[in-house]
Amino acid sequence: MIDSTQKLPGLLARRARGMTLEAPFYTDAAIFHADLDLIFGRHWIFVGVEPEIAEPGDVMSVDIGNHAVLIARDDDMALQAFHNVCRHRGARLIESRHESVGNIVCPYHQWTYGLDGGLRHAGCMPKDFHTERHGLRKLHVRSLEGLIFVCLGEEAPADFDEMARVVGTYVAPHGIARCKVAYSEDIVEPGNWKLTMENNRECYHCSAAHPELTRSIFAEGFGFAPVGAAAEAQAARFADMIGDLHARCELRGIPSGEIDHLADRVTGFRTERLPLEDAGESETLDTRVACRKLLGDLSETRLGALSLWTQPNSWHHFMSDHIVTFAVLPLTPETSLLRTTWLVHQDAVEGVDYDLANLTAVWHATNAQDSALVGKAADGVRTSGYRPGPYSADTEGLVEKFCAWYVDRMQAGLAG
Amino acid sequence: MSEDAGFTIRFAVSARDVKCAPGSTVLEAAEAAGIKLPFSCREGMCATCKSQLTSGQVDMQHKGGIRPKEIAAGKILVCCSRPLSDLVVER
Repeated sequence: MIDSTQKLPGLLARRARGMTLEAPFYTDAAIFHADLDLIFGRHWIFVGVEPEIAEPGDVMSVDIGNHAVLIARDDDMALQAFHNVCRHRGARLIESRHESVGNIVCPYHQWTYGLDGGLRHAGCMPKDFHTERHGLRKLHVRSLEGLIFVCLGEEAPADFDEMARVVGTYVAPHGIARCKVAYSEDIVEPGNWKLTMENNRECYHCSAAHPELTRSIFAEGFGFAPVGAAAEAQAARFADMIGDLHARCELRGIPSGEIDHLADRVTGFRTERLPLEDAGESETLDTRVACRKLLGDLSETRLGALSLWTQPNSWHHFMSDHIVTFAVLPLTPETSLLRTTWLVHQDAVEGVDYDLANLTAVWHATNAQDSALVGKAADGVRTSGYRPGPYSADTEGLVEKFCAWYVDRMQAGLAG
Repeated sequence: MSEDAGFTIRFAVSARDVKCAPGSTVLEAAEAAGIKLPFSCREGMCATCKSQLTSGQVDMQHKGGIRPKEIAAGKILVCCSRPLSDLVVER
């Protein structure tokens, strides 16, 4: 194995624009740990949604590589985030993904912390023991209209506020806080987390790989813009549909236009409301809503799908009837967790308002297809024959923006 | 009150009936009878002693170690609960 920590600055510096990354970025343990420190340790990471911890005392745990995080809903309904590690002997505090607790209690020696992280009880310690010095280590946590982000760095990137201000108006009509989790799926993709993200950032592969997804979505909404007469006719049709959708949404006060800061912000993001095929309602096999109880205060079913992408680890699709969120959480240099969460209105009743199999069919199938593609890429980039290859300027511009953002943020991290 | 004042607590798992002296907690009654229950803070914070109350009423003065929905489901913290009637505790 190459000692890539020393080589990392050079590898970053010589990365050619418009080309895939060199092999060590997808395979090397030292670079993986640098990713955990400089990317996942310093940026805003999407970890879940507010309906997962709706009531006081609800806590959730999420592991981001070697970072263990717990997020709690306190008695004032605010979100609190901490390292999920006891200050006594380092035991993991919250074991399962979701729990309901009075206080946060270590299962080892029962050190007890309030939901504000303060140490309330530590048995058998001396009289002069400073409980105030042994509270849980706090992390930055923010909710973007119900999407929960944490930052493990001492100072969190301040431009989260700007993203929240802009994206909040797009997301708010879908009323995440009034949703419930209908289903959640964890799959382990057999590749480095960047391969999972790069695969998400293009739809060059969609028509061949995703028959279920392309039933409703247009690849053109995801950076796909090939040349040629047939492609141009399709692009013109898509442009008409996007114009019609945005006009109808703007009339209802629902923001829709494209905003792209994927590569020019510390907290990179992109959003746009995109039209869907046929009925135009939802990312389902029949393009119609999967849940008859609509989200928020929406009364119109045909709102297409609002896409939101955030660097480094998430994407989201918001429709009139349901929301699908995706978080990528690095596990090892060559495995990544893809956590998918389907949300419906909290009053929707399974089997009455929605059929779970119908609700989840498209993305369940698409995730499995994407995981197989990520595995194929991982199988190739770890071989001796791999050399960086060129991105298509017409269809892979958003992948290039992901890589450009990654290289820029790694260099900034190494410099600071 | 008579000599044997206080309520009776049945610890169902231990199959023991124990007299609880007036003013004592359920935990103290167990300890006095030599029944070992898990506990740590003794003041209703850590919930180590959380137990199922299957019969009876208690006065529980906890410090945030238990949630209303748990209380509604019949859970008590025995370290800070005093009997208001005869009890059956799943311990």
